[in-house]
Amino acid sequence: MRAKSWQACAAAAVLSLGSSRLSAHHSFGAEYDGSAPVTVTGVVTRIEWTNPHAFIYLDVSDKDGKVASWKFEGYPPGVLQRLGWKRDRTMKIGDRITIFGWRARDGSNWAHSREITLPSGEKMMFGPPAGTGDGGSTPAVEVR
Amino acid sequence: MRPAVLAAALALASLPVVASPAQSGARREPVPRTPDGKPDLTGVWQGGSTVRGTWEEANRGTGLGGSGKDPNAPSILSSNDRPGDRQPAPYQDWAAKKVLESFNRRGIDDPTSRCLPAGVPRSVMLGLFPQKIVQTPKEIVVLYEYMNAYRVIPLNAEHPDDLLPSYMGDSVGHWEGDTLVVDVIGFNDRTWLAGTGTFHSEALHVTERYTRVDKDRIDYEVTMEDPNVFTRPWTLRSSLMLREGTRLQEYICAENNSDPAEYERLLKEGVKIRRD
Repeated sequence: MRAKSWQACAAAAVLSLGSSRLSAHHSFGAEYDGSAPVTVTGVVTRIEWTNPHAFIYLDVSDKDGKVASWKFEGYPPGVLQRLGWKRDRTMKIGDRITIFGWRARDGSNWAHSREITLPSGEKMMFGPPAGTGDGGSTPAVEVR
Repeated sequence: MRPAVLAAALALASLPVVASPAQSGARREPVPRTPDGKPDLTGVWQGGSTVRGTWEEANRGTGLGGSGKDPNAPSILSSNDRPGDRQPAPYQDWAAKKVLESFNRRGIDDPTSRCLPAGVPRSVMLGLFPQKIVQTPKEIVVLYEYMNAYRVIPLNAEHPDDLLPSYMGDSVGHWEGDTLVVDVIGFNDRTWLAGTGTFHSEALHVTERYTRVDKDRIDYEVTMEDPNVFTRPWTLRSSLMLREGTRLQEYICAENNSDPAEYERLLKEGVKIRRD
């Protein structure tokens, strides 16, 4: 189940700057590796529009037709709505989409989502930047 | 024209013009006031931002969350960013070590990861979720979407003498000119103040100053005192931006919260989370 056997590839270097420069919500940076960008294309099988975070499940086929399920975590529903997402309208079960994000630290088919490319080609943010919630680049105190 | 009138006219003519991405060239509108002449803080606000405009105008593009130092990151603070000049927080040595340990554990001990209220001032300065201020002549109520928390701030009142420690503390307020000053005590020791690991004791005393400088913006200054953990008071400055048309949503964090279980699983399986 290596990433390269799926339709997954490392994102452009420009998007993999800084593994943990930012901090924000519950620690995405603890569960997901900000230095392991991943871009996955697949078919939406399930969307959990739940708090504190939404989840998207994708069926992803490799070149031999073997299918694996991927899970992506994102912003809470209220945040998504204010960013322009319409539940059950912007993205539907069965849609073929591409998600850019960062892979789980345990190497499983689980990732923190950032940007989604919809069937129309439109790109929308579904989650925060890499390392979110892990404390950012510097601690709040002076390191002595 | 008398000199005083002339001076006033010149002052009016020289009012600054807003240069914002959302409302380029728009003139700053005056501070709305209540019938008793106080600045009216009523409205839905976004903390941790300096951008004018509606929520959609201010947050489109790169979304939310981040310090703005990464060119790919949004400039709006989320729920765990430290605002201001990033000067170190004035923790005593032993306490600084504890803060650093949380940082090295990438914030997995964040109380909000267990859906607990974010406390003060963290709830005020975060930008991921809106907050709604409702002002009356006798009290001010603030509703925070994040964790569905709220504060009731009686004006010109004393703190009760039988406070039980709480996440959001006990607030009383008064006006100093056009600035609302809020005194907050009665905290438990289970919230973070501003940034990963920024813990405190039950002795925490927070003083907030809200100054609505124009229609769109409240300048926010907060001073945190806690002789059990700090060497001196810690002051941060931030701002709240008016987000007309934004509705507060329900945020029931416990609905589907997998974070603590995941942290535990990763640690149990020996997955490296800790910073080097």
